[in-house]
Amino acid sequence: MTTDVKESLLPSGALVDGPRVHGSAYRDPDIFQRELERIWYKVWVYVGHESEVPNRGDFVRRQIGLQPVLMVRGDDDKVRVFYNRCRHRANLVCLAETGNAQKFVCPYHAWSYANTGELLEPTFDEGYDYDLDKSRFPLVEVARQDSYRGLVFASVAPEGITLTEHLGPVSEFIDMFMGLSPEGEIALDAGCQKVRYKGNWKYMPENSMEGDYHGPFIHKIAFELYARSSGLDVSALHEEEIPDVIRSLPGGHMVEDYRGAPLSKRPGEPSAARKEYAAKMIEHHGEALATQMMGTMAPLLFVFPNMMYVMTHIRTVQPVSVGETNSYYYPVMLKGVPDEINAARLSDHQFMFGSAGFVSPDDVEIMERNQIGMKAVGDDWLFIGRGEHRERDMPDGGRSGFTMDETHLRGFWRHYVSLMEGDA
Amino acid sequence: MMSPEQFLYHEAQLMDEMRFAEWFALWLEGGTYKVPIDHDDDGSRLRVAIINDDYIRLQQRIDRLQSGSVLAVEDARGAMRRIVSNVVVTSDDESGMTVESNFMLGIARTAEQQLWMGRSFYELRREADGFRIASKRVHLINSRREIPLLQFLV
Repeated sequence: MTTDVKESLLPSGALVDGPRVHGSAYRDPDIFQRELERIWYKVWVYVGHESEVPNRGDFVRRQIGLQPVLMVRGDDDKVRVFYNRCRHRANLVCLAETGNAQKFVCPYHAWSYANTGELLEPTFDEGYDYDLDKSRFPLVEVARQDSYRGLVFASVAPEGITLTEHLGPVSEFIDMFMGLSPEGEIALDAGCQKVRYKGNWKYMPENSMEGDYHGPFIHKIAFELYARSSGLDVSALHEEEIPDVIRSLPGGHMVEDYRGAPLSKRPGEPSAARKEYAAKMIEHHGEALATQMMGTMAPLLFVFPNMMYVMTHIRTVQPVSVGETNSYYYPVMLKGVPDEINAARLSDHQFMFGSAGFVSPDDVEIMERNQIGMKAVGDDWLFIGRGEHRERDMPDGGRSGFTMDETHLRGFWRHYVSLMEGDA
Repeated sequence: MMSPEQFLYHEAQLMDEMRFAEWFALWLEGGTYKVPIDHDDDGSRLRVAIINDDYIRLQQRIDRLQSGSVLAVEDARGAMRRIVSNVVVTSDDESGMTVESNFMLGIARTAEQQLWMGRSFYELRREADGFRIASKRVHLINSRREIPLLQFLV
């Protein structure tokens, strides 16, 4: 990524000035480097869900910031996050994206590790000092690891707030989408769509949590097609704004809370599978909550800095460089529901998302154009002031705004600045 | 009747020139169009794909691409050409044939040119006026990687 303008690294506090964000936050390689140090290698980062590694020895390759890691279920059934790096000469221990391994053997000099991390044997070890202590060379675990409802998080920093403190009130919204399963459990076992775009990583969470403002403009045709085929009209959400939909939470998390925005009723008689699903939901949640959950869209959420739940899937955002980003879309399959329900979720997912979907590509195209527009620096400030005058404090410590307000962005940036400025 | 090669070249031209309605007219009603992520995805389990269209969804895809409001299609006209090659007829009877071919597609919608490659698998039916596509499956060589937007026809 080259930039046409010589950047001057602002004092980081000045990246945000009231409802204005400085363009260099999306463009400046020095700021990106600072984000790695202050954000990606400091806070809790979502790595994966335990359902992706259901059996002992199962693993998935992931990244924290730019660092390659492995999430592995060991022979002791414990899920760990290791740096994907051989202790000998730093080769990738594992190239495969997913798989099952009794042990990981580095291809370079064949040092091997148990799936619980211990070094099994350095090769030709008669050549090493006879008292070489193998226990000094296990795969290195990422410093702190914890999980919430199967969502595995890790932090590169040895010290910091707990995961519970990091999540704070967003855990309540995680519970809501998990509650779409009458067993309260999800499985990310339907694979993953992988998208790359030429734009900064922050566009993805910003854009993903504000579908209502840009939706009528860039997704118009997709909404029309969906309404025509399903009989469900989603445009009502745009006609009259509803309070307390757009939420910022402490910790930089963002939510679109649709509990106050009932969907139009699906036309026609529900299928046997839908009736069975409804009955299980009522059994599990009680009539009132189940009716609310099934009659509204589950909240969309962003867990700072890299995980989202968006309608059908868990989405992660993974920076590549200041101007290039990968994003991963994992359809959320619900446990304890008829197959038809998950098949319908997957069908809806493929309608909307992925590189060839009918909705998210419009967003990705916008993100790429954003990165180009951001090179024009005549006035290098973005304005995120919509609804500032009417946003209100919430009991959970966050703030809320109307459907199309930019309350969530202001919360994100407040938290971002708190991490980026001052002493590390 | 048109040879399978001529049919595939014709199809390629319609895709390159964004002649969406004419391309859709090549399909048999009820046809299916799939671009899987894992090439061995046989549909027996719920697996997300890049494209997994039944005929209704394919019609929607065409309606959307033709709407003039898809941002990623803006400025794409004239920016696409593909080579179709390595054509193999894998079965052939009076009702139709199965055909495989490779393609190499260049797109120059922006200054940075993209290259897409893959192998396509067709079930073609013979109709009075030529072949119709009963199913098409495309194995992209980069399907398991992070890919840019795929807002065109492959």
